[in-house]
Amino acid sequence: MLGPDPLSVTLSALADPTRRAILARLAEGEATVNEIAKPFDISLPAVSRHLKVLEAAGLISRGREAQWRPCRLETQALRNVDDWIAKYRRFWTGSFDKMDAYIAELKRKEKRK
Amino acid sequence: MSARIADDELLITRTFDAPASLLFALWSKPEHMKRWMGPARLTCPEAEIDFRVGGAYRGMIRSEEHGENWFGGVYREIVKDRRLVFTFAWNNDGPSAGVETLVTITFEERDGKTVQTFHQRPFLNVERRDSHVGGWTTTFDKLAAYAATLAMEHAT
Repeated sequence: MLGPDPLSVTLSALADPTRRAILARLAEGEATVNEIAKPFDISLPAVSRHLKVLEAAGLISRGREAQWRPCRLETQALRNVDDWIAKYRRFWTGSFDKMDAYIAELKRKEKRK
Repeated sequence: MSARIADDELLITRTFDAPASLLFALWSKPEHMKRWMGPARLTCPEAEIDFRVGGAYRGMIRSEEHGENWFGGVYREIVKDRRLVFTFAWNNDGPSAGVETLVTITFEERDGKTVQTFHQRPFLNVERRDSHVGGWTTTFDKLAAYAATLAMEHAT
């Protein structure tokens, strides 16, 4: 397999339940590390590590103020995942339409025998 | 609810007017696959299938607009007329080139018709490969519940 492309990096980041929950929280609005950590039964450093992964994947950005550094959801990376899934959905739905037609054709041939 | 995180799984359920054995053949025999793989305006002139667990398949779809696109993968589970699991990836230079996916298809025959359940998700690394299917889905359900709880807390 090739090296990690941006989509793979995003998908890897999304593959973790805690990180998805963090994103769900940030979808409600900006939050600091402390606010994000509150509902989780994990340490602040562990939350920080998750945030680093999310930031590297372009899923969140963080403010510049040293003390607060509020985290914000970045929607473009999520949109790329949506587009990727949508393309596959179109591909397979279109293929299954053809599958339907092909089955009908096979049945007609069967009858003629 | 504003907390909508992009879904990275695809689920397509469809009923075909055919027995499960025919559906299974459409997926596992190259002469059949060439007839239906790819949406309208695309043809599938190439398909090679080594139909056994660990065996590879590959094929190519072509259109005037997009040129030739190769795809392929490896079979991971084969249960005749009932279930098929294989990896799927595009072997091109597009933005999703490096992303391998795992496809799970089940066939359920009722009165001569067959419900085909098609599931596809990213298949990224050894860790997830080893943890296998069940865990990820369970995680997903838990997260959905959790996200709903968060949204409710937010609303009150």
